[in-house]
Amino acid sequence: MSGDRLKIILSLTSPLLIIITLFFGGIFYGLLQSLGYQPAIQKYDINFDAYYNVMFSERYAKLFWTGLGLNLWVSFVSTFLAAAFALFGALAIRKTFFAKTFCNFIYSLNLPMPHLVVAIGMIFVFSQSGLLARMSSQVGLIGSPSDFPILVKDKYGLGIILTYVWKESAFFFIILMSVLQSLGENFEELAQSLGANKWQRFRYVILPLIMPSLFSASIIVFAFSFGAYEVPALLGISYPQMLPVMAFEFFLNPDLNARSEGMALSIIIAMIVMILVIIYFWLIQSKIRKN
Amino acid sequence: MNTNLKKINIYAIYLGAFILILPLIAFFINAFSFRWFYPQLVPKELSLQAWVRLKLIPKIDNRSFDNFLELWLSNPTIIKALLNSLTIGLIVTIASIIIALPAARVLGLLNFRFKKIIIFIMISPTILPPIAFVLGLNINFISLGLSGSFFGVCLVHLVPIMPYVVLTMTGIFANYNPDFEHQARTLGANKFKTFYLITLPAIAPGMVVAALFAFLVSWSQYLLTFLIGAGKIMTLPLLVFSTASSGNPALTAALSIVFIFPTILILFFASKFVTGDSSAKYGLGKL
Amino acid sequence: MNNKFKFITFAIISLFFSKLVSAEVAPGFNSWDDVKAAAEGQQVNVYMWGGSDAINSFVDDFYGVPLKNDYSITLNRVGIAGTIDAVNQVLSEKEAGITEDNGSIDLIWINGENFWTLKQAGLLYGPFATGLPNSKYVAWDNPAVNLDFGRSVEGMESPWSSAQFHFIYDSARNNYEDMPRNYGELSNWISNNPGRFTYIKPGKAGFVGTRFIKQIFFELSGGHDQWVGPYNDELYTKWAPKVWRLLNSWEENLHRSGETYPANNADMHALFANGEVDMSFTQSPRGAGPTNSSGTTPLTSRAFSFFKNMIGDFNYWAIPYNAPNKAAALIYADLVLEPILQAAQVQPANGFCCGWGIGTDKVTNLEGIAAIKDAQNNLGDAAEDQGILAKALVSDIAAEYQDKIEADWFANVLLK
Repeated sequence: MSGDRLKIILSLTSPLLIIITLFFGGIFYGLLQSLGYQPAIQKYDINFDAYYNVMFSERYAKLFWTGLGLNLWVSFVSTFLAAAFALFGALAIRKTFFAKTFCNFIYSLNLPMPHLVVAIGMIFVFSQSGLLARMSSQVGLIGSPSDFPILVKDKYGLGIILTYVWKESAFFFIILMSVLQSLGENFEELAQSLGANKWQRFRYVILPLIMPSLFSASIIVFAFSFGAYEVPALLGISYPQMLPVMAFEFFLNPDLNARSEGMALSIIIAMIVMILVIIYFWLIQSKIRKN
Repeated sequence: MNTNLKKINIYAIYLGAFILILPLIAFFINAFSFRWFYPQLVPKELSLQAWVRLKLIPKIDNRSFDNFLELWLSNPTIIKALLNSLTIGLIVTIASIIIALPAARVLGLLNFRFKKIIIFIMISPTILPPIAFVLGLNINFISLGLSGSFFGVCLVHLVPIMPYVVLTMTGIFANYNPDFEHQARTLGANKFKTFYLITLPAIAPGMVVAALFAFLVSWSQYLLTFLIGAGKIMTLPLLVFSTASSGNPALTAALSIVFIFPTILILFFASKFVTGDSSAKYGLGKL
Repeated sequence: MNNKFKFITFAIISLFFSKLVSAEVAPGFNSWDDVKAAAEGQQVNVYMWGGSDAINSFVDDFYGVPLKNDYSITLNRVGIAGTIDAVNQVLSEKEAGITEDNGSIDLIWINGENFWTLKQAGLLYGPFATGLPNSKYVAWDNPAVNLDFGRSVEGMESPWSSAQFHFIYDSARNNYEDMPRNYGELSNWISNNPGRFTYIKPGKAGFVGTRFIKQIFFELSGGHDQWVGPYNDELYTKWAPKVWRLLNSWEENLHRSGETYPANNADMHALFANGEVDMSFTQSPRGAGPTNSSGTTPLTSRAFSFFKNMIGDFNYWAIPYNAPNKAAALIYADLVLEPILQAAQVQPANGFCCGWGIGTDKVTNLEGIAAIKDAQNNLGDAAEDQGILAKALVSDIAAEYQDKIEADWFANVLLK
């Protein structure tokens, strides 16, 4: 027994050490700095100035609250649309001959494309002088670039949403396909023989079965899109600006005091993600219990 | 009625595939064109200039094999970045597997107190954004001398990778029967032989998935490398990002192709492994 | 009176004497031969903005090769997204207690605010600039050289090249004669051509945009002279509201109605090249030449300048106090002032094409003079008349204005 115990401790030490020192250590030190504790520049007092500055000072309040709004909008819409497209696609083609080909296609062309590259691709395709605009101009739909709708570097974050939907719907699709395939068709056939129509079969048979996977996948997509830097940095504008970009710009400011604000903002981002994930968890759990 | 519906489905697939492939088309046209401005749909000037400027192809008048070799050996930034990305990716992949293997075995096979808490700690980096820990870590790494070092970058890459590798391999061990090992041991096989002959073949497919995933995450990591590498460790994503804001689409496109081509190739050959159900798949959403 | 005179004489003599006694060319080095000896075999870590591959390959080819061959110094050019990153690195190292010769940066391509941040914090090595042998070619008596954004250089950085703000237009779309020649005319042009103009967002990455706005201050206030010297808050506060009013009056006729602005010059070139706007900005004496040949603007692009208030400035090399290879850094800073290499950086065929870092009239050797002449003759037809540019040249102003303008533009124009 004690041999087992020793084995458990020894085996778990190194991965836990990495996560605890690097991940939690980093967050802890960021928290300290966000509270104004910066021994390097002889500041030892603890206060909430940085948080106040970011959220309520005249200079940053507008930027922060619009940024928060944009963050919520982008994350919710991207997660929802990506899940919806994937669900529609998966249900439509899961029984066709194409399903497997399409899966492989996504595996080899979509999944290895980093978000960074996809964002660049979106600029190439969707900007006002991009590939689609040029196609529209060739067929006479638009005259000058300004006639083409503004889809990237726009104030509603459409370009950012496009990128996440492009990337993440394929991710959802893969997850859903693997669940649907593992379910087999017995359930549905049973439901069909009991006289359930298409909608009922979806609502009462398929949906509850895929819910857990859909649920964990959407948490990951939501949390990721809320805190990621690269895509909004490339496709966003200066106002309104998504929070991770704002945090990073604070951090790069040569004024060392601005670092506290950058840290405060990154802690705020982490807290919001955590709170939303907990709420989401709680909602889903109570729903599942009800059913 | 039903055939119509099927037709619509098929068109939807074609449309989906087209949208998925459109950015790739744009990358290829951009990378081989010169002065390709609106409203040209097809570029008037085709050119390898982007590749010449990246120093992947020698200037027009001397394209012999020796010139290629000489150019690549002169260690241009892109080759440096490619090698850095590759080395960091391989080191991190191997390290994460070695570290995760015993932990996954314990988590998969045994039940003990605090197991839930330990798993919770282990997966927390998958939910909280990297910006939350890397800003704080930055100063610590500088004072430890790890900032700007190869080792520091490898270390910080382990954070987003570890949870998925541990989870994936835990999943494998949960369906693994250790009795075979006992039998092998009683039949006289030593520890290494047992691992090599019994354990490894059983966990290999899952390990490939975990390794693949670890490599891809490291390969596409921008923020962590940028902050911990302090400008000294140049990797492909850093190069792509800075070129993307330098206003030369041909150059950006050519670099992006260099960046994604190896991963497309890897996944093309490895896709048959990934199709099984595994936790690593959930990490693919974050690449 | 007499006392004061005595004091000054004494000061001059003692200064002279102290120079003789220490006879340093730079702190820690008694002669240039000492520097050369110490530099041999070192690696010089050069941190510079890496966004232009033309500049990158110029540095690698024209400095990397002679450094290796003549001085056995290895050049390690580190491309960064903005000079601010290097400044941050030095600050972070200081914060982490990495001092002495243990830093990671040997040279930073720098000017203006970034220079002032480091100089003020005492994080620079020097004075070294006037001790370099090739310093004799530098026009140190010119305020545009010895003041960097209105601040004394004091030998803490050594010049590399210069640049002057002006505009690019496309001769296939517009005529040279129809282009505006001051901000008043530009205002009219914007209302007559809605959606066809934008400017670069003032900010750390878009200093060219900040410059565009500083020049409005000069024109509205009736001249550049009063803006020279230390920051003058009264002057700024008097004219700032009028500038914001002008910029806001443009907004409805700007590209995308001023909802977004290009973040840097590259973004602006892209909008211009794809026909989304009709003007772009350039800093090169060759006008549209460099971007025409790199393929980022159409071949028909040309340059034009306002007749007044076009800001020009010098950019420099500075050495951090904790640079690990100071000797090699000194060799590098000296090398870039070599007249032949200066001519090479202006020579369009070499792709860098920045302005002179030295006073060309100070060069006396025949080889240097010939190279300089050749470079000037080759500027090409994508460049504006050099006489118009020279007449419009004004120096940049105190760094505080830049901070103020960036923050206030954000609050009064973007967030409005």
